[in-house]
Order: sequence, then C-alpha cells, then structure tokens
Amino acid sequence: MSGTEATGAASPVMAAGRYIGQSVRRREDPRLLTGRGRYVDDIVVPGVLHAAFVRSTVAHGELRGVDAEAARALPGVVAVLTAADLNPGLRPTWQTMMGPQAPAAPFRPLADTDVRYVGDPIALVVAENRYIAEDAAELVAADIEPLEPVLDTGAALDGAASLVHPELGSNLAGEIPAAASPALDAAFGDAAHVVTETFYQHRYVCVPMETRGLVAQWDPASEQLTVWAATQGPHEFRAICARILGLPEARIRVIMGDVGGGFGQKMFPMREDIAVVLAARRLGRPVKWIEDRNENLLSGGHAREEQMTVAVATDDAGHFTGVRAEQVENVGAYPFPGNGSTAGAGCLIFPGPYRIPALSYGATAVYTTTCGRCAYRGPWMMETVAREQMVDVVARHLGIDPLELRRRNVISQAELPFTTATGMVYDTVSPADTLEQAAALIGYDAFRKEQEAAREQGRLLGIGLALYIEPSQSFGPLGTEGATVRLEPDGRVALIMGTASHGQSLETTMAQVVAENLGCDLADVTFMQGDTAFVPYGAGTGGSRSAVVSAGAARGAAVGLRERIVALAAAVLEVAPGDLEVADSAVAVRGDPASAIPFAKLAALAYFEHATLPAGAPATLEVSERFKAPPFTFSNACHAATVEVDPVTGQVSILRYVVSEDCGVMINPMVVEGQIAGGVVQGIGGVLYEHMVYDADGNPLTSTLLDYLLPTAAEAPVIEYGHVETASRLPGGAKGMGEGGAIASPPALANAINDALAPLGIHLASQPMSPSAIVTALMAREHARDDAG
Amino acid sequence: MKPAPFSYHRPETLAEAVGTLGAFGDEARVLAGGQSLVPVMALRLGRFGHIVDLGQVGALRYVRDDGGSIAVGAMTTHAAAGRDPLAAGSVPLLARAIPFIGHFQIRNRGTVGGSCAHADPAAEIPAVAVTLDAEMEAAGPERTRRIPAAEFFASTYTTTLEPDEVLTSLRFPVWQGRTGFAIREFARRSGDFALAGALCAVTLDADCRIERAAIGLLGLGAVPVRAFQAEQAITGTAPGDLDMTEIGLLAVADTDPPDDVHATSAYRRRVGAAMAAQALAAAVAEAQAGTGITQEAAHG
Amino acid sequence: MADHVADTREAPEQGVSVAQVSMTVNGTARRTTVESRKTLADTLREDFGFTGTHLGCEHGVCGACTVLVDGAAVRSCLMFAVQADGADVVTVEGLTPPGGGLSAVQQAFREEHGLQCGFCTPGFVVSVTAYLRDNPAPSDAELRAALSGNLCRCTGYQGIVAAARRAARELAEEQQ
Repeated sequence: MSGTEATGAASPVMAAGRYIGQSVRRREDPRLLTGRGRYVDDIVVPGVLHAAFVRSTVAHGELRGVDAEAARALPGVVAVLTAADLNPGLRPTWQTMMGPQAPAAPFRPLADTDVRYVGDPIALVVAENRYIAEDAAELVAADIEPLEPVLDTGAALDGAASLVHPELGSNLAGEIPAAASPALDAAFGDAAHVVTETFYQHRYVCVPMETRGLVAQWDPASEQLTVWAATQGPHEFRAICARILGLPEARIRVIMGDVGGGFGQKMFPMREDIAVVLAARRLGRPVKWIEDRNENLLSGGHAREEQMTVAVATDDAGHFTGVRAEQVENVGAYPFPGNGSTAGAGCLIFPGPYRIPALSYGATAVYTTTCGRCAYRGPWMMETVAREQMVDVVARHLGIDPLELRRRNVISQAELPFTTATGMVYDTVSPADTLEQAAALIGYDAFRKEQEAAREQGRLLGIGLALYIEPSQSFGPLGTEGATVRLEPDGRVALIMGTASHGQSLETTMAQVVAENLGCDLADVTFMQGDTAFVPYGAGTGGSRSAVVSAGAARGAAVGLRERIVALAAAVLEVAPGDLEVADSAVAVRGDPASAIPFAKLAALAYFEHATLPAGAPATLEVSERFKAPPFTFSNACHAATVEVDPVTGQVSILRYVVSEDCGVMINPMVVEGQIAGGVVQGIGGVLYEHMVYDADGNPLTSTLLDYLLPTAAEAPVIEYGHVETASRLPGGAKGMGEGGAIASPPALANAINDALAPLGIHLASQPMSPSAIVTALMAREHARDDAG
Repeated sequence: MKPAPFSYHRPETLAEAVGTLGAFGDEARVLAGGQSLVPVMALRLGRFGHIVDLGQVGALRYVRDDGGSIAVGAMTTHAAAGRDPLAAGSVPLLARAIPFIGHFQIRNRGTVGGSCAHADPAAEIPAVAVTLDAEMEAAGPERTRRIPAAEFFASTYTTTLEPDEVLTSLRFPVWQGRTGFAIREFARRSGDFALAGALCAVTLDADCRIERAAIGLLGLGAVPVRAFQAEQAITGTAPGDLDMTEIGLLAVADTDPPDDVHATSAYRRRVGAAMAAQALAAAVAEAQAGTGITQEAAHG
Repeated sequence: MADHVADTREAPEQGVSVAQVSMTVNGTARRTTVESRKTLADTLREDFGFTGTHLGCEHGVCGACTVLVDGAAVRSCLMFAVQADGADVVTVEGLTPPGGGLSAVQQAFREEHGLQCGFCTPGFVVSVTAYLRDNPAPSDAELRAALSGNLCRCTGYQGIVAAARRAARELAEEQQ
C-alpha cells in the first residue's frame, strides 16, 4: 500500500481526456432501468423473519409497562422484544467522525423507562411476515403516563421545562459560545450601518425514495454477523455494530447492494438498525426490517429546524466590516451523529465567499421531544441560508442592488489565497467568476427592467442570488479513501473501492478515472463496492468528497498499476520504462506500434508464465492505494432564480433557475449537473412545499406524503448550468461537490421571493414560504393599507 | 403499512353486493377503485371486517343518455368518463373537472361513484354533482332511491348512504341553450387536492343576460356547496355589468373553511373568491362565444 | 375468473381471507395463494419474484410501485392481488424488448441521465411507457403533469423530463 499526499505545489491541470471530462453514460443504468437492481428489500435470505416496531404515540411520557401477551400469542409471531430483552449488556458506541467523547444523546435501542418523541421505538415484533408483524404490533399495549412535551427550543432551556434526557441533566445538547472579539466590537462601534435580522428555517425530512432497512443474520457457529443494509457507509455500520456488541470488526460483514438514496439519513445505523441486529443475534434467525414511509417520516431522522440572528456592520459603501451570528438548533430527542449540531462546521464556513474581517459565531443546540436530527445534504447550510438572505437585507437597507453589494464584498481572484476570519484558506475558488457568470446567464440587468415594467401592471416579479463555498469534507476520519486496482488474468481490470455510491454514479466515474489513468478501455473496468469483507475501508459516500478522496485513491492506484505494468513490459521488452507508452490496454515502445504487448499478454505472463520473466520483473499486478486528502477542498457556486408571486394565491412560480458551478476538473459533467439538480429541487421543495410539522402536543401532523409535500416534475424548473473549472492543487485538479445544490437554493429562492414582495413592504424571514404564508403577509399589508385609508 | 385482515367478497351482480352489505352492516365496506380506501386501510386509520369489491359488477360501468340527463355508472373510472364523447359533449363540466383528479394512474382506477362515496371536501366529482344538481341513485335491499346531490353529502367523508346501500349511478342534468362551463381550482402541486376551487355553469338568454347560473365551491367547507346568494345576484343581469371580483367575494361570504397545515381559513376564502370570479368569467365568456373554450389550469 | 377466488361458492356469505389468484405477469401465466389483504405490489415482488416494482410509500403517492394492469398504469400498492385475478399485468421487467437490451423509453432515460439511485425508476419507466403509448405528442405542460404522479428525490426531474421528451420524439419517428 502506498500513500499519496496532496502536495503544496499546483498539479498540472488535466485536459479533458479520453474519459475525464466526458459525459459517459452510466454503467449502473442497465440493471436499474430494467428492474434488476438489488435493494435491501429484494434480498431473499432463507428462513428470514420480518420485523415491525411498536412506537410511542405520545411525545413524552413515562413508560410504565409493555404488555405483549396478546401479541406473542398471535399465530406467526416469533417474538416480541422490549428494552429488557435488547438493551442490557451493550457497550458504548459513537460515530467514528465524532469520536467517543463527543456529546450525544443516550443510545438505547428501545425506549425503557420513558418515551421521548412520537415514534420512539418501544418494542420489536418479529414474525413470519410484515403483515402479521403489524397485526401483532397493534396488540402490544404500552402503558404510558404522559409528561409535558418539550417542543420549543426557548422553553426547553428555561428552568421549568421537563428534561428530554433526565440522565443528561439539561436540554442543552451543545454550545459553541461566540468568541469575544474587541476587533469585532470596534467594527460595530465604528460602523456606518448596522443591520440585524433573524432568520428561521423549518424542519425538513430527507425522504430518500427508499426507506431505511436491513437484513441481519447472526451465525453462532462462526460468531459472524452479516448485515445487508440500505446504508451510505457500510464500514461505519460495521464499526458501530462492533463497538456496541463487542465484536471484532472482521467478524462483521456489512453488504451494501443498490441503495435508493440517502442524503445523509443512511450515513449511520440508528437505534432501529441496532435493535434489529440484536434481535437477529438473540433469535438465531435472520431478521429483516424494512421501514415504511410513515415510520420514515416519524422516526427516520429530521433535519434543519433552526434560527439564526445575524448582525452586519458595514461602512458607507456597504463593505462588511464585521458580522455576528447566533444560531439555535432544534436537534430533537435522538440525533445522529453526536448531538446533531452542525454549528461546528457552520461556524467555519459562515464567511462564505466574502471579505469579512471580524466575525463571531455562537450556537446553541437544544434537545426536544421530537424526532432527532440526522445528517441532510449540507447539514451546516443554515450559515449560507442566513448569510445570503442577510446580504439582500443589508442591500435593501442601504439602497444598493444585491448583485452590486455582492460585487463589492466577494473575494476576488487577486486576493487568493485568502484566509477567512475563521481560519479557512481558500486557494482555488472562483466566487466572483461564478457570480458574474450566473448574473450574465440569467440576464440580471435585463430582468430588472422587465421587473419594473411588470410592477406597473401589478405583477410581482423577483430575482434572487446566493453565493456559497462548499467544503469537500475530508478532515479526520473522512480524510482517506482506498482503492485496489487489479489486472485480472484476462487482461481486464477490477476496481475495488470502499465507496458507498447510491446515486452518485461512482460505478461510472471512478471507472472513468481508472481507465484514463491506466490507459485501458472503460468497458474493461469492473467496479466493485459495498461488501466490507473485501473492499478497502471507506468513510461512506456523502459530504461532497468522492471526487477528491475516492477519485484520488482510484487515480493513485491506477497510476501505480500502470507503473507496474510498464515495468513488467520493460523487463519483457528489455527497454527502459521511460521508452514505453500505454494506450488502449497495451504497452508499446514509443514510436513503434508493432512492439505493443496487450495487457492480456502481460497478465498471462505474470500469472501463469512467471518463470519466463527476467529476474526483478514485478509479479504483482495489483495496487492498493489509500489517498490522503487535505481536510477541506473548496468548491463554489452561484445560484440565481427569478420568480413571479401571484398576489392573490401567493403561489410562487419559478421562471428561471441558473447555477454557475466551479467544482474543479469535472470527471463527468452529466453527473455533476445531475447532482446539482437533485439538490436544487430539494431546496425548492424545502422553501415552497416541504414542512415537517408537530402540533402543540408533539404529535406529527405531516406523517405521510399526502401532507409532507415533495415537489414533482410539474413544480421543478428547468435548471440552466454554467461551469467554471478552477482546478484544485490535487492530482487531477479535482474538487468535491454534491451537497451544494441543496445549500444555495433555499436562500436564492427566498431572496427572489422577497425581491418580488419588497415593493409592498413585505419581508419574509421565515420558511417555508408557502402560498398561505405569503398571502397572510399580503393580507396584513392590505389591511394596514386599508386602515390607513 | 400493511392493511389489517379482512374477508373479501367479489360479487358479480349488484344484488349480491347489496345482499353482502346487508349481511355485515357496519363491518362491511365497498371497494370501488381503491384510490382513497386502500390508503386508509394501509395506514390502519380504518379497518373493515368485510370488503365488497364491485370490480366485477360490470353493470355499473357505463355512460348513457337518460333523456335529459347523462347517467354515469358508479364504477366508471375517471379515465373512462373523461374519454367518453357523450359525457364530454353533454356534461362539459364533468369532462373538464376530471383532469384535475390526482394523476393519470389514479384516474385509471378511481371511480366517479367511489369519489362521491368517499366525500372528500375538495374532490371534484362531488363538486360537479352539487353544482349541476345531479342525482345519485342508490340501491338498497328493499328499494332503489334517488338522492339529490345537495342531500347526498353530509359532512367530511360522510354521505347519507345507508350502510347497506350501494351508490349505483350519478345522473347529471344536461344544460340546454347558450351555455358555458368552467372549473378553476388552486392546488399547491399538480394533482393535489385543491385548497379552494369553484365550478360554474351559466346559461344566457336571447338578450345575453344570465338566465341561469350555478356556482359550486369545493374545499371551502365540509361538503361542496352552492353559492346561492351569488347565483341570485347575477341571475337576470348582463354579464358586462358585473364586477366578477365582488361576485367571487359574495360567493364565499357564507363559507367557513378549515385551518390546517396547508392553509388558513382566510386563505381558502380569498383564493375561493378568486377562483369563483375566474370560473364565472370563463363560463360567461364561453356562453357568449357559443363555442367551447380551452380550459386552463388555475395553477402551473 | 371467479373460480380462482377459492371458497366463494361454498360460503359466499363469509367472503374469503385467503384465495388463489391467477394472472398473467409479463406474458406468463402465474398463480399463487395469498391473503386477500396482500397487495398486488407485494405479490409481484414476493410470490412472483419481480422485485423491480418498488415500495416507496405504500399509500399511493410516490408511484414507485407503478405497473400495468390490463394495459393501464396503476399504483400496485393500492390494489389487492385478489383484485387482479384474471388480469394481464406488466411490470418493468416486462418492458425489456424481446431481443434483450433496453426499450426506447429505457434507452432515453439512460441517454438523458434520468436516474441516479434508480429506486423510483421502474415506476417512471412504466408510467412513461403507458403515457406515451396513449399520448404520443404531449405539450411540455401535459408531459410534466403526467410525470407528476411519480416522485424522484435524486434527479430534480431534469433528466426525467428530458428522457420522456426524447422517448416521445424517438417513438414518433419510429412510427413514421
């Protein structure tokens, strides 16, 4: 195994090659299009039993008892397991990226003395099929004495509120105190303008189209646990099982087949997954649990729900001289990972692409008796949601166009490398370029004229921008990925990676990287992932890191294998390696095509005829690489949206949506655009349609897709793309991407809506901006106007 | 989300179906297209010991001229009713309402009778029935009876059908003369139940004054309602003299729509008023033109 | 037909809680015994092994379970297998052309990157196949409305709309 570290020197930018930079059509597609994918519910394991959870219907209460007698008596029921059966004897566990010391909610598979949110799993029914399991679940009587729910973050922290986790002694899940800064105080003191606003972002749910699920099988003879899981991180799944069960990792095999989306919800095994694993071990039979959509909305993990107060100090010309941010996060009862707070990342990224000399960021995370947070596409993104909306608020306050205000404050190429007030070093970013490209693509100036003309007709048109910097997360345990590239005896190539691609197209893009760097046909590369028994360790797919870390490993391994193949050919041909070149799965002396030896021939020599090889010729045609990436690599983009708001219905129509994206050298532009699009429509969904709502008693009101509204093809705008390609300093010039679409779209859209409503004196600082919310604001304005006479 | 167990009945005749319902009373439920009932069963919000599937009762699938009315069999799917030329020609309001019902996959299974029996306050078929003063025909063990649409819908998800009755057909009166029809509704997404909607049928007399008008509202109460005050206000008037916005406001004046996660009561009334104004204007325009107009969706 | 619904004749009053059902699935006659409450979706997946039909919500919203029943695109999670007794059912697996490979609709999805994780894809492929068969020349608004009965979370619908449009164009050209 060799390691490659990113060097400080700029690597030569790879020009679009045979495969790199090409929109190669996907290897994944034939099986997925023909219904031959293998998702976890498609797995058939002989003797498998089916699980269903009994869940709390009360947000907060003492669990006095669980009567499962009638349930156990139902024909076809094998077991009804409670906390007494599953919780004891477990060792502590934690998520690898957080470490064992990170603050976290108590981890218990099933509720024991009390329930802490509607959906809290109380008992696990295991039966011959899911239909019977649900029948039995209905027969389980949980005796719950209700307690006061804790729903509001403010109320949760005052002395009178009951404790979500009594054993923690507080509803404070975590705190990042805002650092004192005399420079910042001075900036505010001296400022020409100080503008303050509080932004509220509501509760979202990830809603991957496939819910969570797993099949767990314990073999007592070999003491081996096998889990087929709908996961974004099979090794993390394995690690957490190993910790909690006290098993060696190598005796746990986690297999990930096709997975129907995750967006962060499947990054870590959660309580239900562990409960099912424990049940399988206890019963000595394989157990399958496939979450249903109602459970997924109740308990699969929620996201966002936070507010941020931002204060900005500027000089006369609108240059930012200081910014203060205070965030409050509602992390629910059982968040993952750690305590569910994202402020640790948010506070680093908050300056975004602007020059902000002095900055403070404080955050408070609060437990409530609601479903806990999970990671969701750009989990820290409130920093961009608040910052980009705040730029528009400041612009409006100062009477400067929001585009112009951004131009005055955005970091320019000339200032790179730029170190932010939070210590982030931006080296190869291009926010100013993307700002100009997006503005040009959407026709910003022409739109302003169109907007004015429309206003005269009583139509409300608006335009909004959002700029952001997106970190590819490769710090700590996320900092490496592995790849093995092997020339098989037939001369074709196996690519074995620790990735967990579940829509990111890595089966195609990583093969492109290998084919390009090895010098073989793309069709000759077979990609394998997902089975911890034979793939290298991986930190999971997510965090916008694959093009940096995973591709880095694939590239390094491919380059390493090419060198071995060349060395072998050199030995065979008795020339210097430097005289050889590789193309089309063959090695030839430069300028002498007739000398070409195909890979297949070299493989046959190495595997079968090694006795004929000269001494010192390499015998191993397999290279494993663990690539180490710098902690962050930065991509950036600018989103621009134009909207029309109907003044009667409050409906927002998106007229145009433009993204100018710089994610470095793109491996596959089609894949990049697809990732942007998915994120953008999730952000549009969040602002306009999606809202996870609890009532005053902590009962979820939006627990089916009839009420939690996802955008459809009829609501999705056409997304137009511009690309800027600023190579990183990493080999191949790669940067990561993937989360950004969901990060910048909410503020771009919010800004456009507010731009449309501004002439009416309306500003919405809360999401969602549903038709009803917009009309409520319009009606208040109309009444005020009527009252004024 | 698997349904609770039930005994399944698949009668081949209406008489069998009625007999089965009579035998099991409140424990039995009719299964028509299943697009509304099966989700209720999957979520276990309702459980029924006996399900009576009308899918094989072919006698309930038809669209026919009933002399002055068009009779649509209760098990006619929305898709079939929407394609039917007789329905389109004689009851344009029905044909125009159908594309708003869910999605085409739902319309392939959902039935006009099932929609009425389910009685969602924002459903289109009930609203068409109420607007046009349709008659529902119901078959019970002793007799068949006709129920005016206004008396059929009692409350949210509640009709005046007896537990042992099967809704067999809807009879829509055919409007004669210089007529115009329109439906305007507002939903958050394509295919969703509307937050508010209005249906309008008008006839103009020889002087182009409004001879007859029907304005129906959906989503603004527990059942679809008629805006009688507004109808009376415009009858006999010349359309050009009307302030459509005012008429729209009058149409919703007596309504008390619900507040829920999707919209406030005030929102629904505001949008309902706008939909009524738009529907009336479009229906009038069609009647004036004497030809069909292209129906536009109120959203999207 | 009714003969396959066991026990109806013996005790017609009581109904059946378990029944043998027969249907044609992807051109082949199939038969199984199921509880009356077992959905068509579950029956296709478990009894007949056609796991290409997916369950995304089980309450008729997401469309991942879309199959053709007697030629019509329907949500198989909203049908009981007993209702499909005697029916002709086509799942995504049945859309593969006789010689193998991809159908025009499937090929269009591949060309236009109309899928990422693939979970919603069979439902879209079946829906689009049925829709274009009956509506060969839809407007953009009509096409989007037709697509709105299937949910996708990965693609933002860009590739899906492009694929459906491309398939419409190519199918129309084939007809000429």
